Amino acid sequence: MNGINERDIHIFVDAVSNFFFHVTEEKVEIKTAYLLENDVPSATYDLTSYITLSGNFTGRIYFSAPRSMLTHLLLIMGEQVRDNDRLLDTVGEIANTISGNARKHFGETMEISVPISQETEPDWLKTVVSPHSYIILVKWKQYRASVVVDIQRAGQT
Amino acid sequence: MKLLIVDDSALIRSRVARILNDPRLKSVQLLGMAKNGKEAIMLFLQHMPDLVTMDITMPEMDGIDCTEKMIEIHPDCNILVISALSDKATALKALKKGARGFLYKPFSDEDLIAAFLELTSP
Repeated sequence: MNGINERDIHIFVDAVSNFFFHVTEEKVEIKTAYLLENDVPSATYDLTSYITLSGNFTGRIYFSAPRSMLTHLLLIMGEQVRDNDRLLDTVGEIANTISGNARKHFGETMEISVPISQETEPDWLKTVVSPHSYIILVKWKQYRASVVVDIQRAGQT
Repeated sequence: MKLLIVDDSALIRSRVARILNDPRLKSVQLLGMAKNGKEAIMLFLQHMPDLVTMDITMPEMDGIDCTEKMIEIHPDCNILVISALSDKATALKALKKGARGFLYKPFSDEDLIAAFLELTSP
């Protein structure tokens, strides 16, 4: 086990729900699972951003979403620019917000990096995260996205 | 009032700039945007803004160090930190370095307008 429990995961569920509610004023559907144990088909969408942790935690927090969802979110925000760079910036900002909000629970000793955002192939996440990662599946309107929490408290294996 | 926006996210920079179109903020004039702390200090020295929105997690120089430097240069500057870092310690650290306000991400347009009005009211 990685020292992260279901209560910890709820912090990320709350953070992602809160983000979508703030932007869209709508509730999202959420499901959580272990990434590999439940054979989740694919958690990787067109664009993925990750935050690397340091301090009292190690690992990464990922947010992955399709271009169509990010474009829709930008429309709601009133953004005129919706090119690929802006979509990458948006997926990074969402990863950053979810991770930053989690510090309310984990405290300042969970240090977070700037987001690294990239275009991703299907199943990319499964090749980079540990089997015991938690996945949070998000459904908003017809779109699906995912948050993968692959973190450990420092000193635990 | 002259505003400098400091954030590594183009989305946030654009959003803050767009909110300035609200008639309640007609006294606030955008003078520049920076995507990290170093760039922000250069613009700060050139233009001496009265108001700064400041992200915390940024490459090159973070928002805490940047706030400290700006307050050393211009102690009366109003710095509003806008960050997703939701732990109390970070907000306290920023306020201790001289920031005048702290707004958590995600925020609504009204949240930001209210924060600006609070900082700019006499």
